[in-house]
Amino acid sequence: MAPSRRGFLKASGVAIGAATLPPWLLELEAAETAAVDRLQLAEIALSTVRRLGATYADARINRYRFESILTRERQVQQVERSQSFGLGVRVLAGGAWGFASSCVVNADEARQAAQQAIEMAKANAAYQRKRISVVPAEKVSAKWKSAFEIDPFERPLDDKIQFLLKLNETAMRVKGVSFVNSQLEFVNEQKFLATSDGSIIEQYIIRSSPVISVTAVDSAKGDFAQRRSLPGPKSIGYEYVEKASWQAEAEQAANEAVEKVKARPVEPGKYDLVLHPTHLWLTIHESVGHSTELDRALGWEADYAGTSFLTPDKLGKFQFGSKRVNFFADRTQPQGLATVGYDDEGVAAQRWYLVKDGVFVNWQTTRELAALIGRTSSNGCLHADSWGSVPFARMPNVSLEPSQDKVSLEDLMAGVEKGVLIYGDGSYSIDHQRYNFQFGGESFWEVKGGRKGAMLRDVAYQSRTPDFWGACDGLGGEDTFELGGALNDGKGEPSQANAVSHGCPVARFRQINVLNTGPRPA
Amino acid sequence: MLLDERESKALCDKLLGYVTADDAEVSVTSGVSSHLRFADNAFRTSGHREDTDVSVTVWIDKKKGSATGNELDAASLRGVVEQAEQLARVSPVDREYVPSLGPQNYRATKGFVEATANIALAPRAKAIGDVIAACEKENVVGAGFHHTRGSIVAGASRHGNFYFYRSSLASLSVTARTREGNGSGYFLRNHFDVSKLDTARVGRVALQKALQSRQPRALDPGSYTVILEPQAVADLLGLFSFRFDARMADEGRSPFSAAGGKTKVGQRIFDERLSVYSDPWNPELPGPPVAFGGIPARKFFLVKNGVLENLVYNRYWAQQKHAEPSPGPVNVIIEGGEPPTTQPAMIEATAKGLVVSRFWYIRPTDPRTAALTGLTRDGVWYVANGKVQFPVHNFRFNQSLLALLAPGNVELIGAPERVSRSESQGESAALFPAIKVKEFHFTSPSEAV
Repeated sequence: MAPSRRGFLKASGVAIGAATLPPWLLELEAAETAAVDRLQLAEIALSTVRRLGATYADARINRYRFESILTRERQVQQVERSQSFGLGVRVLAGGAWGFASSCVVNADEARQAAQQAIEMAKANAAYQRKRISVVPAEKVSAKWKSAFEIDPFERPLDDKIQFLLKLNETAMRVKGVSFVNSQLEFVNEQKFLATSDGSIIEQYIIRSSPVISVTAVDSAKGDFAQRRSLPGPKSIGYEYVEKASWQAEAEQAANEAVEKVKARPVEPGKYDLVLHPTHLWLTIHESVGHSTELDRALGWEADYAGTSFLTPDKLGKFQFGSKRVNFFADRTQPQGLATVGYDDEGVAAQRWYLVKDGVFVNWQTTRELAALIGRTSSNGCLHADSWGSVPFARMPNVSLEPSQDKVSLEDLMAGVEKGVLIYGDGSYSIDHQRYNFQFGGESFWEVKGGRKGAMLRDVAYQSRTPDFWGACDGLGGEDTFELGGALNDGKGEPSQANAVSHGCPVARFRQINVLNTGPRPA
Repeated sequence: MLLDERESKALCDKLLGYVTADDAEVSVTSGVSSHLRFADNAFRTSGHREDTDVSVTVWIDKKKGSATGNELDAASLRGVVEQAEQLARVSPVDREYVPSLGPQNYRATKGFVEATANIALAPRAKAIGDVIAACEKENVVGAGFHHTRGSIVAGASRHGNFYFYRSSLASLSVTARTREGNGSGYFLRNHFDVSKLDTARVGRVALQKALQSRQPRALDPGSYTVILEPQAVADLLGLFSFRFDARMADEGRSPFSAAGGKTKVGQRIFDERLSVYSDPWNPELPGPPVAFGGIPARKFFLVKNGVLENLVYNRYWAQQKHAEPSPGPVNVIIEGGEPPTTQPAMIEATAKGLVVSRFWYIRPTDPRTAALTGLTRDGVWYVANGKVQFPVHNFRFNQSLLALLAPGNVELIGAPERVSRSESQGESAALFPAIKVKEFHFTSPSEAV
């Protein structure tokens, strides 16, 4: 259920009395006005496009709020709140899409956007070569709210500033630390969708992201190293800031930054890799999440992000990885950044396998994509990053299932003679069909004789997606499962950001090519 | 519709009128954009967007707060200002506060064309339909992105400064892939004047590259002499000018930091023929008349004849270091200091090497050496004895930019032309030449086509 706006206002009003909370009151009043009108405005847009010949249409009226606090060492560099409100109308007419949007939200603009969208669809339809259609979706009337305990937008700013400055102080107490940067970022999406199917959906989503970055400089040598915090953003409230062990994370980041600047550069060669979830989530994102997008497989991203080596003929046959590898897509995952009640064309959130027992078994689809492969329903992957953006296929949370056995990080390292243990996400790059990739990290440790050894630096590994997942011979148990993710996965033209999470246990990979990316030739 | 100068000034004045803080900077950005995207030889998405944002930064007792919104009624505008002031009141003192600028003189630039900002839909659909028809005729699968925008930026300060400028952009990228999936070509061009964007040429060049790159052969990774086409140079160096930050270098965490707490200013870091500069009045690449922090933009060299001439100072760091705040970069131009070499002449002068059409998924791997990794994409050709021999498979590279442009590694330089970084989707623009380098480090093969 979405929160009552009047209740929300009332709660905010009480908090404003604390004086340390800048009010969102005026914005909330505006939001309330919009809330009263949204259904009516959407109906104006939808009835206009129906009359002008649309075969399908949706209207979205959304408000996005962002808060960001940036600090370095003992000072606050930036405190910013921003919000964006507007409407977007998408229509299918004559077998082509049209879309128009405006930051002015009233009846005239709703009507005008609807007309512009129809005009665009018809102008395109005159030269369209393949008619577009969408599969049906169930008619829904729903309100949905992401799971959180404390709405970060209701938390006093002073708490947030003190939290960051204390983190910085903790890091700066470590001898050898030169610079500390930290940031809190909060996102709130208030989404309203009405479709020509008759669906009416309201959603209220919260995301939170604390980050700290510590730099150690050896000025005599002209050398430096950086270590960023490991936990990623999540769809969770301010309790993420209050309950996670961020002070310990700051201290560890500081110690590791100092150690890293003196660490031994890795010797290039073949190593067994033991990858922590704070690192492996990004490898999953690039090599599994994007390769299983049906729009890529059909060539729709060829001009930008690229296609996929998982061509349609490989469905149900291709050995993606070793038999222990199971990947699932899940828009219901607790704390997942891509977790929603419904997607942006009214399809309910779902969970499904993409890779089962190592075999590629399913795609990510939308109502338009599902129609192209003979499906009768979408698995709910349509998303737009703004009221002004055209929604298109975006990635759900994609995760690697843990072992059903109780396997620890130490258990996995015990089976390694010569290896590297990697924490945290670093440099990342993958080719346009998702074969050849290279990943760095934040902290690297030698694994020798089954035990964690000295710190290494300048490590990156390079592999090929099916070879890499085929080399996976060990997964940690449920106890090692963690969720990583990003707020800003880019895709599409014009490029849009998508927030997405990837969960995984610790995992082991045999004989992977490791490079040295430092000043010595790789 | 885009706001004009009078409307923008009125909006800035209205915002400043609500300010009760000691100091303030306000800005207004307004944009109209439209796009048509195609793939698999059919239109896929198309959209129109209009938005106006107002931003307010205030200081109360040197404490800073910022807020942004896009609702322009009086109550919402007042709300944005009040929000910023509330944030300032509960923030600590901004130790990097520098008073907002008083009136400045900005020399206008000419980068706006009305017809670009308000594109006609039917001619656009026809032009892109023609590109698709050309692909179909050659039995090639086309994908691409045409987009246009017009935008205005206005800013004002409590101390009386005001600026306003307009810009426009039309861009088309086309990726053409053979049906067998064994050849792929890409071409991207943009311009601030839609009448100067030759959509048929963009499609034609992408098609040619697709046909010429069919059935690539495998070569071993390693160090090769490479001719980088202007697109490849844009992909590698398009963001490099933003790494010349003076503070980062002074703090010892930049590729331009030197041992002993010094910087490399005054050192020859690049080939002596190379200069890197920003010029807002270049007729082919007009930039904004306003540099970072409201400083009036002017021609500004980062590297002159291979020597690191300037690092970039913001107003605060300039004050700390008794330097002038930098009037750029607002765009980036790379030139060689001798008559340019054409790409055919570069090929003729190559005993053994590769021609690289573009790069993809470029990410930094080491900030100390400005090292990057990424991949070639959409066309690599083997050159021997002064002639292109055959297309080859893609590679992953790991390459330091400092080493790439270092004295001794740059062999030949072409004439700068207007290009755009492909990962910017045509939003960026620069004047870059083709460059032939002695050594470029490819570290692994990629079978992706």
